[in-house]
Amino acid sequence: MLELNKQISNKIGLHLRAAGEFVKLAAKYQCEITVYNGDRYANGKSILGLASLAAARGAIVRVIFDGPDEEDALAALETLFDNKFYEE
Amino acid sequence: MSPERLGNIGSRPGDEAPGPSGEIRRQGVSAAPGIVVGTVFLKDSVRLVVPNTGIENAEREVENFKRGIEDTRVEIDNIRADMTERMGEDHARIFDAHLMILADVTIIDGTTEVIRRDKLNAAAAYEMAIDHILHSFGEIEDEYLKDRYADIMDVKRRAIRNLLGESDAVISRPTEPVVIVAHDLSPSDTAQLNRSNTLAYATDGGGRTSHTAIMARSQGVPAVVGLDDLFDQAHNGDTIIVDGNTGTVIVKPTPATLEDYELEQKRFHELEEQLLTLTGYPAITLDDKRFVLAANLDMPEEVESALEHGAQGVGLFRTEYYFISNESLPSEEDQYHVYKSVAEKMGGRPVTIRTLDIGGDKIAQYLHSSAELNPFMGWRGIRFCLTRKDIFRTQLRAIYRASAFGKLRIMFPMISQFEEVIQAKQICAEVMEQLRGEQVEFDQTVELGIMIETPSAVAIADHLGKEVDFFSIGTNDLIQYTMAVDRGNAKIAHLYQNLHPAIIRAIKQTVDAARKREIHVSVCGEMCGDPRALLLLIGLQLDEFSAGPNVIPEIKRMIRSVTFDECRSLVKRVMRYRTAGEIEKAIDKFMAAKEPVNGRRVTK
Repeated sequence: MLELNKQISNKIGLHLRAAGEFVKLAAKYQCEITVYNGDRYANGKSILGLASLAAARGAIVRVIFDGPDEEDALAALETLFDNKFYEE
Repeated sequence: MSPERLGNIGSRPGDEAPGPSGEIRRQGVSAAPGIVVGTVFLKDSVRLVVPNTGIENAEREVENFKRGIEDTRVEIDNIRADMTERMGEDHARIFDAHLMILADVTIIDGTTEVIRRDKLNAAAAYEMAIDHILHSFGEIEDEYLKDRYADIMDVKRRAIRNLLGESDAVISRPTEPVVIVAHDLSPSDTAQLNRSNTLAYATDGGGRTSHTAIMARSQGVPAVVGLDDLFDQAHNGDTIIVDGNTGTVIVKPTPATLEDYELEQKRFHELEEQLLTLTGYPAITLDDKRFVLAANLDMPEEVESALEHGAQGVGLFRTEYYFISNESLPSEEDQYHVYKSVAEKMGGRPVTIRTLDIGGDKIAQYLHSSAELNPFMGWRGIRFCLTRKDIFRTQLRAIYRASAFGKLRIMFPMISQFEEVIQAKQICAEVMEQLRGEQVEFDQTVELGIMIETPSAVAIADHLGKEVDFFSIGTNDLIQYTMAVDRGNAKIAHLYQNLHPAIIRAIKQTVDAARKREIHVSVCGEMCGDPRALLLLIGLQLDEFSAGPNVIPEIKRMIRSVTFDECRSLVKRVMRYRTAGEIEKAIDKFMAAKEPVNGRRVTK
């Protein structure tokens, strides 16, 4: 099990478009991905679940990876955060 | 930002009571011009009833469920393709979100689990799963996200219909020309409505920048939005009048009202036709003084209408629409395509793009900033852009890149300080330098101008004029700020006077400053659509008038029926008056005396 803590730094936070990018990438991995914003959490492969976390710009989310390809998944999603969900 | 620009704040004078003999009148927000008399067609009056029945074979029901979802996916795919073809990729993109919502793993797994555990039919299980998510959305305090609720509902309705094995036809579609009455219209609703059967739109929700409004304007169909409860009041087949010019909608009109409107409709068509014959003629006074007439646009699809109505350019391209309607801040690439398409469609005619004029109040929806007590005097326009330079630079880069494809100008809104102009110009210079470094092609001579819409900008217009290439007087805000009147407030709306001496003087002072600095000056507010005020604006020697496309022919007709000389003496006379009332009276006297001349050039 791996954990990634990341600040949301794209302009408007983890809304539908950003959540969509997240889900598209997450779906490529077998491991379970759970995203926490404070005490709320959602399946990292569910666009509606992620959007309902209402994680705004500046929020720090915790992502838990659990499964055989967890290291690869973490690396891929970390790049997505760093690239601000390719919004620019 | 004026109510007109904001969209949601329509004027709502009291006329809500049922009129004589059961006539139902509603005042909404005018979203697209034109008058239509037709029959009511209620969108989605058919409610899908989801039965609560159990099932025997869970595995077979799971298969049914998967097939229903797949059918829905194909349907959305088709709508998306159709939409791309008809309206372009930008309008189609929302359906990508719909596809992802449909494929959402929480809902798919949740439904399958309920089918297996509770032996419930697929439609009911699906409704349970998606309502669970919708419920958690409802708890979110985020205005922007709440707006996405409609998209989820749209997907839900479509999927449930397929799971019940109902064909698309159950979502009723008109077979003859009708007026579409709805709570609100989603992108997939409008995508599926046959345009040739749509006479007009009337919706309970929405504002000037709502999806319905945008679609209606690009289709050239009259529309009124923000009607509150019209959907519940109207019935299929009722006679309905939609007046998109004033924002009035009347259901079950009395014979007298009907006659009035049929006459009004005829007059509107005749006038429109007559005015359109003027398209090829210049905006020139009887004594040969020329003016430039340009269009105010909210979106690229309105360009055709602008050209049809004889616009010689775009005097004001508002860029807020994209920022308000998109689900996130539009990227540089998205914006570049929009600006480029307007530049190209206008074929070398000048297009003035106003940088983001959005209030902290609006953008807060997705930036999560706190609400302001007095947004009209708050963090908005250039003030916002100079704080959020990232957003500002992105927009400027997109505009400069698009400048290679036509004649673009850049205009900054809500200027109240000299330093704001200097800073904005500095950022433009940096953006240009950056683009040169990247060897991106762009127009090196893009003109920079400012909106004159605050009293402080008027007072220092001579200083500001030294720094820019043009002024554009935004009369809506200038009046609001000069008179300190919110015209959306019914108690004081009468104090919002465009003929007040303070306004006439402010405009004169601005024009004088522009002349001194030898720069171009235009008016881009509703004021130039008011015939009385227009006479003064002609006499005040503005260079250009910019207004909604459908107002342009009217302005041209007025210009072609007067002499510049007489307008100038009229201005000279009214400059001495003390009140708006006195000025109004003087203009009316002038117009009454002129009446016979009116026909001379209008009829070619």
